[in-house]
Amino acid sequence: MRSRTPRHGARILAGVVSVALAGVLSGCGSSSGSGGGAQTVRFVWWGNQDRADATKKAVALFEKKHPDIRVQTEFSGYAAYVQKLTTQVAGGAAPDLIQLDRPTFGEYQHKHVLADLGRYTGSTLHLDKIPANLLSGGKADGKQYAVPAGQTTQMLVYDQKLFAKAGVTVPEDGWTWKQFTEDMRKVGARTGVAGTTDFGWAVDWFDSWLHEHGKQLYTADGKLGFTAGDLEQFWNATAALRKTKGVSAPEATTKMDGSTQNSALVLKQAASEMNYDSNLTSYLSSYQGTLKAAPLPSDDPAHSGMAALPPVYFGIAQHSSHKDAAAKLLDFLVNDPEAGAALGATRGVPANSEVRAAVCGAATGDGKAVCDYEQRVQQRMGPSDTWQWPSGSSAIKTDFQQVYDDVIFGRTSVSAGAERVVKNAQQSLEQ
Amino acid sequence: MANTALTRPARQVTARPAQRSRPRRRGQRAAYVFLSPWIIGATVLTVGPMLASLYLSFTDYDLFDSPKWVGLDNYVRMFTEDDRYWHAVTATLEYVVVSVPLKLALALAVAMLLNKDRRGTGFYRSAFYAPSLLGASVSVALVWRAMYGDGGVAGRVLGVFGIDVGSMVDQPRYALLTVIALAVWQFGAPMVIFLAGLKQVPKELYEAAALDGAGPVRRFLAVTLPMLSPVLLFNLVLETIHAFQSFTSAFIISSGRGGPSDSTLLYTLYLYQRGFNDFRMGYASAMAWVLLVVVGLITVLLFRGANRWVFYMGEGKR
Repeated sequence: MRSRTPRHGARILAGVVSVALAGVLSGCGSSSGSGGGAQTVRFVWWGNQDRADATKKAVALFEKKHPDIRVQTEFSGYAAYVQKLTTQVAGGAAPDLIQLDRPTFGEYQHKHVLADLGRYTGSTLHLDKIPANLLSGGKADGKQYAVPAGQTTQMLVYDQKLFAKAGVTVPEDGWTWKQFTEDMRKVGARTGVAGTTDFGWAVDWFDSWLHEHGKQLYTADGKLGFTAGDLEQFWNATAALRKTKGVSAPEATTKMDGSTQNSALVLKQAASEMNYDSNLTSYLSSYQGTLKAAPLPSDDPAHSGMAALPPVYFGIAQHSSHKDAAAKLLDFLVNDPEAGAALGATRGVPANSEVRAAVCGAATGDGKAVCDYEQRVQQRMGPSDTWQWPSGSSAIKTDFQQVYDDVIFGRTSVSAGAERVVKNAQQSLEQ
Repeated sequence: MANTALTRPARQVTARPAQRSRPRRRGQRAAYVFLSPWIIGATVLTVGPMLASLYLSFTDYDLFDSPKWVGLDNYVRMFTEDDRYWHAVTATLEYVVVSVPLKLALALAVAMLLNKDRRGTGFYRSAFYAPSLLGASVSVALVWRAMYGDGGVAGRVLGVFGIDVGSMVDQPRYALLTVIALAVWQFGAPMVIFLAGLKQVPKELYEAAALDGAGPVRRFLAVTLPMLSPVLLFNLVLETIHAFQSFTSAFIISSGRGGPSDSTLLYTLYLYQRGFNDFRMGYASAMAWVLLVVVGLITVLLFRGANRWVFYMGEGKR
């Protein structure tokens, strides 16, 4: 044994290193799966199953039309999506085509994650059929960074049977807040199911409420547009309803995350719920019973708390090496009539006005319900440009719900909670 | 560490004749080659990231832009401005203080039952150990959430007795209890160690005690506990450290939020939220270092306190 030459050591070393390298390389292999000249575009989104099915159908159509481009799709729930995406982006492994919402758009645009789409506009990417009020949501500093995937607006979706059982009918031109409060209490008292899901949980409904009072969540220059006093007033209103079963119990409210699986309405803990109509198809497919959409309550039709908003956007990663292919896919998803037919109303009604007319004209079932509702409330929608969410709004949305949890479980008072939201929000906006 | 380990043998070598040193040095080289997976792993995966996190804890780092040096800012903010940080500390302390003693008591009780030679002991030992193999997994936590959630088994069983608690995981009063229950349920690992300890207790001691007229309780207090105390200390230290690092169960049961109303916001869960939801990697790193120091201190205190109650055979205390 002693007669071992130094070569032996070297050979062992070489062996160890090569085994280690082999491990490393085989680990890498799976991620670079493009071959034969075909480009692979990674396209990611969040949403429920109905959206995933429709999107995969549209992607298959795209691949048929562009045999040189392959599309790798990934989807998940919202919270998991945001976490995974941000980690990937930070690690330099961003997907090529990314679904965004208002808070994440603000965040990523601010952090230079998104590519300026100006280079593609007019050639690969056509935006001329998309209404300006929707397009403006994907703009920053006059440049287009993202394209709206559809149009949505706020709604109150309700169980027709429960409302009928309580003897509540939705007024032809929508509720006033006073009527709404009374009716929700009536539903709670007569059916045993809370009138509506406690809408104090989401900053979105506070934004609607602010708009009804001539204010907005964020000013045009990205500052906070409300005071702790405003929030206190809003939360006091929900607190009063909570005591009388007008809104859902804390145990039901705390679960809310925008998904249908945790929705208090779907879990039969409330008879109605505020949401965006882009989720109506998900509600309809997962709810046992008959649902219908109604406009949000408002005291003044000119300030309805509703607006045409992009439910989600599509953006292209700045550092993507397949930007052209991603732009083609983006254009296809937004403008192609066949894609429109496949996607239906799973991201709200289509953004492209021609596609929208075609899709809504041919719509049946769940898709038709979205089109009908959009049609019905079109006159009530206010301007869209006051609903922009700046960088930092993602954290504010989370914190808002967090503090509200403390409020409904009595861990903090409404006024102290409101102060905390404002203090934390100002910090988030400064970041 | 690595430096001294490398230089010390080298110095010895120079003092010796060259002929004998060569094969020895070669042997050492081979040893290092075989150790290399561990050395590389420890430096790249443990020491490196730890140092990086120490540096990051003094910066503001959001993963996108390069880290900005902020000195002690993260630490100061943690202790003075962050309400949720204290929610996390409270929840974690409650979790540790309740779950660890319960788990150890249950582990010891079951170990004593299984220590007797009966038929099927082997089967029961494996059966009671199984939960600790499964407990840390995501699937069990999901089952737990379903059991204690809306219309879950726990609610129905309590309903039979006329107790209506509703969905336990969605109420701040009960949510942490469900997480604690999951931790206690995984008593298998300390149980096995207790069992090994019980086997070591000399039978003569029990016989002598019985002859002196000691009943089962007295025998437990005067013989079992003192003889088992080193094992108890070992389990206590290990379980305390584990409890402080607990993450998965709270994460799954609260759907990642630590709710309702921060009641299940364990320290590591809040750390994760700061890092991967808010992208405050600097802040999260600072939290990790505070946890490391606090757990270290608590371990030292446990060992110090152990002098008073841990009994080692052969210390002449008999």
